[in-house]
Amino acid sequence: MSSFLDDIETLVPALRRYARALTRNTDQADDLVQDCLERAITKQSLWRPIGPLRPWLFKIMINLYRNDRRRQRNSLEQEPLDVLPFEPSSPATQGARLALAETAAALQRLPAEQREALLLVALEGMSYAEAASALDIPQGTLMSRIARAREALRTMVDGTGPRLRSVK
Amino acid sequence: MSDTNMITEADLNAYLDGELDPVRRAAVEAYLADNPAESERVAAWRDQTATLRALYGHVADEAMPPRLSPHRLAADRRHRMMRSATAIAAALVLVVLGGVSGWVGRGLATPNMSEATLVSEAEAAHALYTPEVLHPVEVSGQDGAHLSKWLSKRLDRTLAIPDLSSDGFSLVGGRLLPAATSAAALLMYENRDGSRVTLYIVPKVGEETAMRFSSGDGLTAVSWQAETLGCVLVGNLPRETLLGLAKASYGSLDAGANI
Repeated sequence: MSSFLDDIETLVPALRRYARALTRNTDQADDLVQDCLERAITKQSLWRPIGPLRPWLFKIMINLYRNDRRRQRNSLEQEPLDVLPFEPSSPATQGARLALAETAAALQRLPAEQREALLLVALEGMSYAEAASALDIPQGTLMSRIARAREALRTMVDGTGPRLRSVK
Repeated sequence: MSDTNMITEADLNAYLDGELDPVRRAAVEAYLADNPAESERVAAWRDQTATLRALYGHVADEAMPPRLSPHRLAADRRHRMMRSATAIAAALVLVVLGGVSGWVGRGLATPNMSEATLVSEAEAAHALYTPEVLHPVEVSGQDGAHLSKWLSKRLDRTLAIPDLSSDGFSLVGGRLLPAATSAAALLMYENRDGSRVTLYIVPKVGEETAMRFSSGDGLTAVSWQAETLGCVLVGNLPRETLLGLAKASYGSLDAGANI
């Protein structure tokens, strides 16, 4: 039991990071992580035989996030987003700050499934196998989501395509 | 350089993500060296990744809020479970005391939880729908064949709708309801005096049981569990009348199950 808790404790920082990037909202992200941990602790007996902990925890969190989004859509209640979702560790130039903010905004405009996939690989450094398992999709599907996400982000931030419009 | 033509966008992404074996990686590197535009695209993706990490990477280094400690969450959960276990134990003591004082010498088993739930669901449905004048049912009893087919399909059971006319009750009709764990069928019957009884049917929820009476709020319920169905007959009528109707219902439902 306590080794299980130690194991998931080492993954909490990564879960917070991913949740923050998904939601762009500190409180909402930490609520998501807490729900995820509580569910994991409750379900731990189901986990043991199945496999690696990291994709499993992310899978739980992504499902919770999707449920939250569905509920929000139904209630038409929008959570306020943090305006600038980062505190640069070193003073960035205004241009660099703008580029960061622009990417953050573009990220929010990706279809949710592309954002979830790209962040697992690019931000969390997961292997394709781990990310596909976390999202419960075939690896080929994961790869095409990542490829589309990267191109869409590039187009939005470069300004060479339809800017900040609907991206398929 | 024949295989350079076969470098796909998937290869370029996999290259960036470190997912290629050394042979394939060398092929992609050769391809990028020959294709500056593609090389630029990959560089842009790499910058993107760096930007995403600059945006959110620092979150993992922040001090952890205490509420996200797994050890603390697990301890909280244990406390909650202990408290509810204590509450359940206390409630059980009361139930046992009540049972001992109330049922001494009756020789009757108390209904299990699922049957108690079943009865209260059936009573709630009865109370809600029997006063309805215009819309007591979804499908009228005149369309009995359709009703039977529909409810059988939704309950995933063969449901032969009991004919209680020899007991003086005609079928008003039926409706589908949500129950605790599945769908439930509610059949409504009416006698010449306008007294209504309802028969509440769910796919089987427990062991096969004999018929049991329970009453409260002016209603009497007869419940039983057959081979594939849990049933509750509810009405505001003398026990003997309800028991007769329940027996007739049991007979035809049981026959239906064997078809």
